[in-house]
Amino acid sequence: MHELSLVEALCKELLQQGQEQGWARVTRIALRVGEMRQVVPDVLLFCFDVASKGTILEGAVLDIVPVPLLWTCRECGNVWPGDAACALCPNCGAVRTELQEGAELEIDFVEVEDFGESPEEATKECRSCQDW
Amino acid sequence: MPRLVNIRRSVFEEDRRNAEAVREELGRRGVLLVNLIGSPGAGKTTLLEATLRKNTERPETRRFRCAVIEGDVATSRDAERIAALGVPSVQINTEGGCHLEAHLVRKALGALPLGEVDLLFVENVGNLVCPAEFDLGEDFKVAVSSVPEGDDKPLKYPHLFHLVRAVILTKTDLAPYVRFSPERFWGDVENLNPSARRFLVDSIQGDGLEEWLSGLDEWLEEKRRR
Repeated sequence: MHELSLVEALCKELLQQGQEQGWARVTRIALRVGEMRQVVPDVLLFCFDVASKGTILEGAVLDIVPVPLLWTCRECGNVWPGDAACALCPNCGAVRTELQEGAELEIDFVEVEDFGESPEEATKECRSCQDW
Repeated sequence: MPRLVNIRRSVFEEDRRNAEAVREELGRRGVLLVNLIGSPGAGKTTLLEATLRKNTERPETRRFRCAVIEGDVATSRDAERIAALGVPSVQINTEGGCHLEAHLVRKALGALPLGEVDLLFVENVGNLVCPAEFDLGEDFKVAVSSVPEGDDKPLKYPHLFHLVRAVILTKTDLAPYVRFSPERFWGDVENLNPSARRFLVDSIQGDGLEEWLSGLDEWLEEKRRR
């Protein structure tokens, strides 16, 4: 269940940004998830539903964009898509290899609504500033 | 209308800042931070106890000054076991949390005499999954896996075994009693992380501890040379 830990970090990061930038609501989140993270999308979505309740993230569509593994060899420069079980360079057999892509857990972009856009938010805004 | 905001930022941004702060402080002081990760019952605390005891048997010039941060869901039992050896230790209780995070480690540093420490161990919460995801500001992670857990752990938890600088196989004395293929275990480690250092340790009898301490010697020296 590391999905819940990941979702908590995701929510914390976005709620902080939302507060700093004054978002009223987040409607969509594009999240790049590397294959090495072993995330189960359904579990991630379920955790997100639970963790986002009562926040500006509630009801947002969470788009999980999988990022396949891509290795690079630091000896011969070979780049290959591979599976998690083998980090040896298939070209030269070198052990000095690096995971170039596939460890991501990155918020790519979000779709947000600002205050004053939806009718109920507009009312809320005006009530709070009492300038009707 | 909703508008698009580009973020292009890791989910762990706040964590990263805390981890960098830990790394910066320990870098300045020349303290090596080792993050030990393994399942509950893999023998992490016993390995630490054995390491600390073995360390006191070394000639004074080669002895590390150690400290330990213990992460557990509940209880301070592990920190008490370490404190009983006269080693400064701090217990962090995550109260349900399945891993440590950098802000907790950053706070714990304040409770340790860092000016008198060469080697700081973090014993993470027993779990092979979540702790691998979080950077605590460590110099490197170490996977601790025991013989009775089975030889399939590297392949089942590739993210952890891919990230670590070393793999310690503990409870090697139990090998005659359980089905465990060293070839399969180390073969998978080799494939996942060809440059990881490997150690075989029997913490009770003390086998393999000297090699592990020598590895720590090299890593500390390497850090202080930089």
